[in-house]
Amino acid sequence: QQVNPTEQSVTEEQLFNTLKDEEAVSGRVSIPDKQAAGLIKPGNKSWAGTHNGLVRTLTIVAILGAVIGLALFYMIRGRIRIDGKFSGMRILRFSAIERFAHWLMSGSFVVLALTGLNLVFGRIIILPWLGEGAFSTLTHWGKVSHNYVGWAFMLGLALAFVFWVAHNIPEKLDVEWLKQGGGLFKKGVHPPAKKFNAGQKIIFWSTMAGGAILSLTGLLLLFPGVQILGLGAEQADWHFYQLVHGLVAAGLTFIIIAHIYIGSIGMEGAFDAMGKGDVDLNWAKEHHSLWVDEVQANQIEKITPAKGTQPAE
Amino acid sequence: MLVKRRSKDATRSGLAALAQNVAAKPVDRRSFLRASGLAVGGLAAIGTLGATTVRRAEAGPTNFSQPIEVKTNICTHCSVGCTVKAEVQNGVWVGQEPAWKSPINRGTHCAKGASVREIVHGDRRLKYPMKKEGGKWVRLSWDQAIDEIGDKMLAIREKSGADSAYLLGSAKMSNEGAYLFRKFAAFWGTNNVDHQARICHSTTVAGVANTWGYGAMTNSYNDIRNSKTIIFMGSNAAEAHPVSLQHILTGKETNRANVIVIDPRFTRTAAHATDYIRMRPGTDIAIIWGIMWHIFENNWQNQEYIDQRVWGMDQVREEVKKYDPEEVERITGIAGAELRRVAQTFATKGPATFIWCMGGTQHTVGTANVRTYCNLLLATGNVGSVGTGANIFRGHCNVQGATDFGLDIGSLPCYYGLAEGGWKHWARVWDVPYDYLQSRFDEVPAKGGRDPRDRKANMEMAGIPSTRWFDATTLDVEEVDQRDNIKAMIVFGHGGNTVPRLGDSLKGMNALDLLVVADPHPTTFAALHDRPDNTYLLPISTQFECNGSRTASNRSVQWGEKVVEPIFESDNDYAVIFRLSQKLGFADDMFKPYEMVQGKFSMEPTAESILREINRGGWSTGYTGQSPERLKAHMANQDKFDLVTLRAPADAADVGGDYYGLPWPCWGTPEFNHPGTHILYNPNIAVKDGGGAFRPRFGVDREGETLLAEGSYPVGSEITDGYPQFTYGILQSLGWDVDLTADELAVIQRIGGNDPETMAEVSWSLDLSGGIQRVAIEHGCVPFGNGKARAVAWNLPDPIPVHREPIYSPRPDLVADYPTAENGRQFRMPNVGFSMQSSAVERKLSESFPIVLTSGRLVEYEGGGEETRSNPWLAELQQDMFVEINPADATARGISDGGWVWVNGPENDSKAKVKALVTERVAAGVAFMPFHFAGWFEGVDQRGNYPEGTDPIVLGESVNTVTSYGYDPVTGMHEGKVTLCQISAA
Amino acid sequence: MARMKFLCDADRCIECNACVTACKNEHEVPWGINRRRVVTINDGLPGERSVSMACMHCTDAPCASVCPVDCFYTTDDGVVLHSKDTCIGCGYCFYACPFGAPQYPKVGNFGSRGKMDKCTYCSGGPEEDLSEAEYVKYGANRLAEGKLPLCAEMCSTKALLAGDGDIIAEIYKERVVTRGYGSGAWGWRTAYSDTVSV
Ligand SMILES: Nc1nc2c(c(=O)[nH]1)N[C@H]1C(S)=C(S)[C@@H](COP(=O)(O)OP(=O)(O)OC[C@H]3O[C@@H](n4cnc5c(=O)[nH]c(N)nc54)[C@H](O)[C@@H]3O)O[C@H]1N2
Ligand SMILES: Nc1nc2c(c(=O)[nH]1)N[C@H]1C(S)=C(S)[C@@H](COP(=O)(O)OP(=O)(O)OC[C@H]3O[C@@H](n4cnc5c(=O)[nH]c(N)nc54)[C@H](O)[C@@H]3O)O[C@H]1N2
Ligand code: HEM
Ligand code: HEM
Ligand code: SF4
Ligand code: SF4
Ligand code: SF4
Ligand code: SF4
Ligand code: SF4
Ligand SMILES: [Mo]
Repeated sequence: QQVNPTEQSVTEEQLFNTLKDEEAVSGRVSIPDKQAAGLIKPGNKSWAGTHNGLVRTLTIVAILGAVIGLALFYMIRGRIRIDGKFSGMRILRFSAIERFAHWLMSGSFVVLALTGLNLVFGRIIILPWLGEGAFSTLTHWGKVSHNYVGWAFMLGLALAFVFWVAHNIPEKLDVEWLKQGGGLFKKGVHPPAKKFNAGQKIIFWSTMAGGAILSLTGLLLLFPGVQILGLGAEQADWHFYQLVHGLVAAGLTFIIIAHIYIGSIGMEGAFDAMGKGDVDLNWAKEHHSLWVDEVQANQIEKITPAKGTQPAE
Repeated sequence: MLVKRRSKDATRSGLAALAQNVAAKPVDRRSFLRASGLAVGGLAAIGTLGATTVRRAEAGPTNFSQPIEVKTNICTHCSVGCTVKAEVQNGVWVGQEPAWKSPINRGTHCAKGASVREIVHGDRRLKYPMKKEGGKWVRLSWDQAIDEIGDKMLAIREKSGADSAYLLGSAKMSNEGAYLFRKFAAFWGTNNVDHQARICHSTTVAGVANTWGYGAMTNSYNDIRNSKTIIFMGSNAAEAHPVSLQHILTGKETNRANVIVIDPRFTRTAAHATDYIRMRPGTDIAIIWGIMWHIFENNWQNQEYIDQRVWGMDQVREEVKKYDPEEVERITGIAGAELRRVAQTFATKGPATFIWCMGGTQHTVGTANVRTYCNLLLATGNVGSVGTGANIFRGHCNVQGATDFGLDIGSLPCYYGLAEGGWKHWARVWDVPYDYLQSRFDEVPAKGGRDPRDRKANMEMAGIPSTRWFDATTLDVEEVDQRDNIKAMIVFGHGGNTVPRLGDSLKGMNALDLLVVADPHPTTFAALHDRPDNTYLLPISTQFECNGSRTASNRSVQWGEKVVEPIFESDNDYAVIFRLSQKLGFADDMFKPYEMVQGKFSMEPTAESILREINRGGWSTGYTGQSPERLKAHMANQDKFDLVTLRAPADAADVGGDYYGLPWPCWGTPEFNHPGTHILYNPNIAVKDGGGAFRPRFGVDREGETLLAEGSYPVGSEITDGYPQFTYGILQSLGWDVDLTADELAVIQRIGGNDPETMAEVSWSLDLSGGIQRVAIEHGCVPFGNGKARAVAWNLPDPIPVHREPIYSPRPDLVADYPTAENGRQFRMPNVGFSMQSSAVERKLSESFPIVLTSGRLVEYEGGGEETRSNPWLAELQQDMFVEINPADATARGISDGGWVWVNGPENDSKAKVKALVTERVAAGVAFMPFHFAGWFEGVDQRGNYPEGTDPIVLGESVNTVTSYGYDPVTGMHEGKVTLCQISAA
Repeated sequence: MARMKFLCDADRCIECNACVTACKNEHEVPWGINRRRVVTINDGLPGERSVSMACMHCTDAPCASVCPVDCFYTTDDGVVLHSKDTCIGCGYCFYACPFGAPQYPKVGNFGSRGKMDKCTYCSGGPEEDLSEAEYVKYGANRLAEGKLPLCAEMCSTKALLAGDGDIIAEIYKERVVTRGYGSGAWGWRTAYSDTVSV
């Protein structure tokens, strides 16, 4: 039979028809860079679409949503204050090393989030007013920091996990706490809680899960083409990790904005726990009654008079 | 019109602002020297730098208003002959532009041509003369190098004779360089002078010349545009002659031509065929006879053509009967129906052309292969007209010219034989006494039962082919039919890895007393061996660094202009040959006809004056009309030539009526204005317009039949039948001698010694006046006569070719029926192919080495690859030596694509470590390796052996480490295209 | 205004790589960066075809849309260029490009990959036309000299066509009609949402 190589030439049309959606048209190249063998990768175009569409939109929605939501919350509920007075007694809540872990994690998270978000929509908001040159410099360093600070974040994340996981096992108690909305929405309501209440547990686990995913996908993005934990290292996989990274980052940022709010301006006295390490006994009794009981039972020495304040008569 | 700025203009960086200031006036793109182009600028002073300080010249402050000169040269890689347009600034080659006007390439190139500018960046070129001393490379001055080499050559000559120095020239030299090198060998006194054609198309030249007269491509790449059927057999033009595909594919498209590829591999050329037929390597004769079986069976032959222009076809017809479809299928594996289709297409859908290349030539039956191809063409009447022909795609950029000028163990320039007549002719042209030349040759004592030879006999005896130089070094001296073994290799431009049996050649290198490599690169000759001393490297500049002409595959002669001065301390072939001759004591005689000018380091002859000497002597091939002036006019007026006919209109200034490049034969003197010959043997036009006929070289009759054409003659011929070659005597008998001018007659008289009898024998090829040619042509006749082509070459082994199995055949059953030729002695050497084949069968080698190994080209690299593997733009594209292996064979051996494998050869436990490329391009049981790699030997990296900084970027195992014994009895061609091997995962 | 495009006629392309080395030669492109490459499909099988690919200078270029620093711009000729001063080497364009056009001097591990480089359609970059700075960063600017891309100009078989999209489509159509077959204008659907129908 006749072999007519001309008659049977492959056409682009045919290939597109036989290939599944998004599959690359690829062949052989003589250069060592095997990626170059991919001739047409329609999937790349869709990734670009998703990145500019879904990811960018959701990220913007998440950030704006969190900010607007909290603003409303603040306007309605105002700052959550201690019902009673400051007791003047301090109770040690987080040791120095725990606080170090928190700030390592949180500080790096903020840097990562800002530099990451810049990649997503910096060109829409910042570029126009910074100008091309400055924005490029900013983004360049942002990108560099994102790459390096990620390591700090992962360390902080690991430490926080080790220190706090024991206190974050969900319990029956948490259900009750949640039913009462943590007392956040009503003055004077303080459902009992141990060291971490259900809300904090949610933050904790979101942070751990989200952070882990971000770290993993982040690492995969950082070393394209390298398999980590046996995960694929093809270009399509890269696209997937990138999307996951972006979306999880958006979600986690949303949650963390809320956390930051509560941990700072949202709740009176809360900041001290991470700022100084000890909190006012009364604040503790209101928000973590069971934990205070525990501490008082075992480790009375952890409750100390506040420095520079007179013991109450 | 081309506005590219966006409105929000990009931020201008500091650098841009700076550049803008410097470039105050609007400048052209090339108006600054490119950073990497500076390597070669102003290196005149380099000689004063110390050995360690050779470096890129620093650019001075850049002058942005430098003018740009455009220089035209020819690509130094393959025989297509693409014009290269170089933009030069301040002596630096800064840019390469498309040479639109060239009718050959019309601006285009392949990967190699598009990157030739790198050659004169020359990062990895040899930078100055060197020698090995106690195993270390040391730098020399030119004077010292020439002195030492000369002394050693003279000592060897004294002790072992002139034949002990092997002079290996190059198909990369210009015509003038090649000619000079051949002349050098003659003055030195040896016929051991050769070049790449030996391992390339020597069998083509022998086969074709023995069939119809001249050993060259009959038509041109451009003319293939006219073909309706094109067969490629053993040619992978898409990789080896890429720009030819421009013409072929256009022809294919516009004519809806049939393109048939017959090849063991599904090549890139096959990918563009309309019909691909896979064959077993080494079975070409059986296939062609198989095709002709169908032609004769169906009466598809062109009987009129055969009757008029071919002798002996009936005998061939008898032989072909033996190759019926069953037998052919048994030998080749190709079904009868397929060959019938090819036969019918080729015979009936004309004009048809047959293209062959290394797949046909590199065999023990190479010459016979070629003659079967010719027979197919003759039987179908497809030679000597538009769109037909034996389109032999030749190899290197000037392999045609180097062949023409006799860089060959068996001929003198322009195919004058080694017999007395030829020598005397050149002695006259060179203006030296014949006796002087004779005195330069050795006397050979009786040896090995052979008679002694006197100087004259030795002078007329062909030398040793380049495929066997190492055997001639290491074999017992009794076996080598000359005074002594080869003791010195003087290699001007030839790789060391390109001849099969590299392991044996390594032994040869180690045995030499002297090894000289005169080349832009060190080559494997410098890097492979373990010689501690007496190895010299001379940095030769490339053809971009000197003037000269080169002859493309289609016989067009193109003039290359020096683009830049020789870089570093390199110097051109002309100067170096001159200096060596000076040292050896015959420069005065050899160089007296030339205009000598001051070159870079010494005096040198001008290329123009050498070409003029060629014009004075090259009558036999029609190399007489191509004066430097005419050639330069052609380069300047390239756009005047038609793309298909290659002819300029009659009214074009300077080149009116000429064919591009005055393809030889370009008869008569330059003043005679012959246009050159686009299509050989073409009787459809007048001889003065480039017409012709087959050359009657083999007598006038045979077995009672005439060998002269019958009823076929060029348009306008006054003799309307065949006739023998023209001599003064024939002119006299025709009464045409009266047309000779007095001056012409005087020359003929001088050559004939004023003796009427000898005068009558002065032929068209010996008449230095060109008068005989002129008169013959003015009467419409071909100077060399009008004869028949020979279907049967009675003077060669197998006058009618028969299939013969390769030495290492995968089919012992067929070896029994079709054994290789008997052992014999050829070219001063024994050829024991028959014993090798029998022993291989006895030892059942086809079982332990079950895979047929063939070899060939990659588009990115050329030849031994030293130049191209040193060019980063090319080297990047092929970074590993590999073997193509069929998926079935790979799976059976646990070999994966890209994995390392050992390829074991059938001789001397040879082996090569390469990467596997698993592909259906090759059939199961067949493997293919490119031959451009070197620098590894049997798994060992030898990078350290190169002089520092001259090692090519990419190194790899050479296929010729595993290729094996086998020599064509007619030319000494190696069997590079078939052997056996075994492959295993490494 | 011309809309510059590339069309590689796969039935002509013989994988000779002239386009690749011409590009290297013209722009002194360093080792490891391949502004153009040749991909062979069905390698070694009947139907084998090679396609020479570089940046296709897409309509609505995906690379430009994802670039975090927005350093791409499209010239009036439809050529997609970028500013190396602005580029931060993030690699997004490479992941967005359907043709694998963006190239980086370093392989993208840790930290930066260096400034992205890609085919400029031989038309330089945002620097002053034909300035040294432009050459050093982006290579030659043939368009400004009134010449077309060298890769196409030097293509051995005239497989690679460059120039106004309409004109090269016309040339291609004529060829397909003459020879009776064609394997399509590779990449056009993806790059320009367009095919050359014959
Ligand atoms: N890129 C590049 N181009 C070159 C060169 C180069 O080195 N590199 N060299 C130049 C030179 S010197 C030459 S001579 C030419 C050579 O040009 P080609 O001869 O076209 O090149 P090859 O690849 O050696 O061999 C051609 C084909 O012969 C086939 N073949 C193998 N065995 C057989 C057989 O037994 N019978 C038949 N019929 N075919 C067989 C091979 O499969 C291969 O496809 O190329 C010239 N051009
Ligand atoms: N197994 C196997 N072996 C083969 C072949 C095969 O197909 N298979 N092919 C065979 C064929 S066809 C050929 S032609 C040979 C080719 O084999 P070689 O001729 O050995 O290969 P090249 O590397 O082209 O050698 C040319 C040399 O000339 C030098 N040179 C360049 N320009 C000049 C100049 O102007 N002057 C001087 N003096 N030197 C210059 C170059 O640097 C280079 O070293 O290989 C043959 N060997
Ligand atoms: C920069 C602003 C931040 C402030 C002011 C802040 C404040 C606090 C405070 C006060 C606590 C202790 C609450 C308690 O006493 O129980 C806390 C706990 C914690 N923070 Fe933050 N934080 C900040 C950012 C972050 C970030 C960015 C992360 C995550 C990556 C994070 C993760 C956590 C976790 C997991 C805990 C322990 C569980 C919890 O208390 O919810 N914090 N933070
Ligand atoms: C935990 C907090 C993190 C957040 C909030 C975050 C957020 C982001 C965001 C929003 C992007 C841009 C995504 C897009 O453009 O669609 C991004 C990109 C990226 N992130 Fe993160 N990220 C975090 C952690 C990490 C970590 C731990 C690593 C690595 C170890 C990492 C590595 C990367 C990389 C490499 C990219 C860019 C993709 C690339 O250039 O290849 N990120 N990140
Ligand atoms: S190597 Fe041959 S085909 Fe390629 S550019 Fe040079 S002459 Fe032309
Ligand atoms: S081919 Fe790739 S780099 Fe070029 S314009 Fe299209 S998306 Fe951008
Ligand atoms: S690599 Fe450069 S051009 Fe590409 S997306 Fe990133 S910043 Fe933009
Ligand atoms: S258009 Fe210019 S830059 Fe682009 S691939 Fe071709 S030669 Fe290279
Ligand atoms: S130069 Fe032309 S034929 Fe050669 S690879 Fe490039 S596109 Fe194909
Ligand atoms: Mo050759």
